[in-house]
Amino acid sequence: MVKGLLDWLDERIKIRDLWNDFADRPIPGGSSWFYVLGASLLFIFSLQMITGILLAMYYAPTPDHAYASVKFIEEVAPFGSFVRGMHHWGASFMMVLVGLHMIRVFVFGSYKKPREIIWVLGIGLIAIVGGFAFTGYLLPWDQKAYWATVVGTNVAGTVPVVGGVLLRIVRGGTELGAFSLSRFFAIHTYILPWSLALLAGLHVFLLERAGAGGIWNAADRVPYKAEPLFPNQIFKDTIFIAMVFIALAGLAVLFPAPLEPQADPTDSTYNPRPEWYFYFVFQMLKIFEGKLELLGTVILPNLGVAVLLLVPFIDRSPERDPAKRKLMMTAGALFVATVIGLTIAGARAPIVNVPAVTSPSVLAGREIYARNGCSACHSIHGKGGKIGPDLTHVASRRPDADWHLKHFRDPRAVVPGSIMPKVDLSDRELRELTDYMLSLR
Amino acid sequence: MSEQDVTRRNFMIRTIIGIGAFIGVAISVPLAGFGILPVLRKRDAGWSDAGTAADLLTDEPQERRFFQMVKSGWQEERMERTVWLVRKADGSVTAFSPNCPHLGCGYRWFSQDKQFKCPCHASFFDIDGKVIAGPAPRALDTLPAKIESGKVLVKFEIFQVGTAKKTAA
Ligand code: FES
Repeated sequence: MVKGLLDWLDERIKIRDLWNDFADRPIPGGSSWFYVLGASLLFIFSLQMITGILLAMYYAPTPDHAYASVKFIEEVAPFGSFVRGMHHWGASFMMVLVGLHMIRVFVFGSYKKPREIIWVLGIGLIAIVGGFAFTGYLLPWDQKAYWATVVGTNVAGTVPVVGGVLLRIVRGGTELGAFSLSRFFAIHTYILPWSLALLAGLHVFLLERAGAGGIWNAADRVPYKAEPLFPNQIFKDTIFIAMVFIALAGLAVLFPAPLEPQADPTDSTYNPRPEWYFYFVFQMLKIFEGKLELLGTVILPNLGVAVLLLVPFIDRSPERDPAKRKLMMTAGALFVATVIGLTIAGARAPIVNVPAVTSPSVLAGREIYARNGCSACHSIHGKGGKIGPDLTHVASRRPDADWHLKHFRDPRAVVPGSIMPKVDLSDRELRELTDYMLSLR
Repeated sequence: MSEQDVTRRNFMIRTIIGIGAFIGVAISVPLAGFGILPVLRKRDAGWSDAGTAADLLTDEPQERRFFQMVKSGWQEERMERTVWLVRKADGSVTAFSPNCPHLGCGYRWFSQDKQFKCPCHASFFDIDGKVIAGPAPRALDTLPAKIESGKVLVKFEIFQVGTAKKTAA
C-alpha cells in the first residue's frame, strides 16, 4: 500500500531522490549533540505557530477587549492557561536556544567560507525572534505590556532627526492606543511569521547547498568519518526536542504565563520591568545619562548588530579550530560576558519603591469603584458627585478595614440615617474596594 | 543565437523587469501611504479641568486625574489623564506632564526626600522638575496651566521623550 503510493509519487515527482538527497546529506566528522540546536529551533517555531494561531481565535486586538480576552483565555477557556503558557515560555526558550545556536556556530567556525551568507541570514533571524518577543509583549494589554512598550517604543523616538516620525509609525500615533495594538498584532501574526518562515527556509536551503560544516578537523581525521543526516543526526535532534518539549510543557503547567492588572496609563505607582531577555537592553538604558543617552538607545545596539553581521567578513582566515583562533574566541567571550553581565545587573536593578504601595487589590478596587458608578455621589480629587462625602482622604478619617466592610454591606447599620445604598458585591470585591478606600489618605 | 534573437531576448528581459518595477512602485506608494500616513496626524488639545486649586498645598506636589476626549482612529475616546500639580508660595501652579522625559515611564513624588523619582531607570528630579540624578536628558515637561474661577485648567499634551529638547509628539 505505502509502497504503491510511493511508486506512484516517484514516477511523477521523483520523491525518493528528494528524500535521499535530504536524508543522506553527509555530516563531516559525524553527528553530534552540538548540532541539535537548529532543529530544536525549527520545532519551537512550529509550536509557536500552532499555539499562536489558537490564541488568535479568542484574542481581540483592541484596547477595550484585549485584556478581557486574555483573561478569558487564562481563566475560563479549557487548556487556555496551558496554551498561553506554552506560547509564553516558548518565547523564552527561543531566545536561549537561538543564542546558544549562534555561540555554537561561532565556536565551530562554521560561519566561514562557504557559509557566510547563512550566518548573515542567522543574524536576521535573531532580529526577527527579538521582534516577536517585543511585539508579543503588548498584546495582553496588562501593566507590564503597556509600560514595557512605552519605554521600548520611546527608544525608537530617540533616533536623531527622524525619531519623532519613526515613533509615530511604530506606535501608530503619539501614544499607545487602538492603533498600536492592531499594528503590533498585524506585525506579530502576519509580518514576522512570514518573514521568519521564509528566512529560516532560506537559511536551511542554503546550508543544504553549501553543505554542513561539521567538526573543524573532520578532513584530517583518520579514518575519515562522516554520518548521514538521517537517521544519525535526526535521532539526536529528536531526543533533544523531546527534552525541550517536556521542559516547556512542565513550565507551562507549573508556572503559567503571568497576567498583571489591566494597563493603566495614569498609574504612577507601577514599577515597569521588561521580560528577562531584554534586561541587558534595559540596563544599557540606565547606564548612559543625559546627552549620552543616544549611545545606549541607538548607537551601541546598532553597532552590536553590525559587528555580528560582519563577523564572517572580518575573520576571513580559513582556520576553524577554536584553539587556533584565540583573538576571535576572546572577542566572542567578551561579547557574551557583556550581555550576561548587563542582564544580571538589569535583573538586580534596585526598584524605586512607592511611598504608598499600590497593590493589585487596590487597583482592582479602583476599577470596582469606577465600574459601579460610585463617583455619581462621591468625589475623589475633585472628580465626582457631591451627594455623598468626599473620599479624597477617607482613609485618614476611617482607617479601619472592618468599618468599611460593615459599612458597604449595610450603610445604615454603621451610619444611622445614611442614604447610601447597600453595595451588592462579592466578599472578595468588597475587600478590594476597602483596600482602595484605605489607600486614599 | 542570431543577432535578432539576442535583441528579442533582451527586449523580453527588459519588459519583464520593467513591468515588475512598475507594479512594485505602483502598489508600494499607496500601501506605504496607507500604513503610515493615518498615524502621523497631529491632534490639538483643549483645556481640561484638573480639579480645584484650593486643595493644593504649597510645595507639596499632588497628582490629579481627569478625563480628556481624544479622537483615536475611528473612535472618540474618553482618556483618563494624570498630571502633577505644584503650587508655589506665590500661589502660582505648575503642571508637569506625568511621563518621565527619559523614556516615558510614570514617576512619583516622595515627600520625605522632596524629590520626584522615576521607577524605570531611576531618574530623580527636584520640585521644579530639574534633573538631580539619572539618565533623563532634560527637566520634567511643564504643561500649560491656568487657574480660572477656582479650578486648575491644564492643556494636556504629549511630548517626545529621550531628547534634550522638549518637542510636542
Ligand atoms: S523612563 Fe524614567 S528613568 Fe527611564
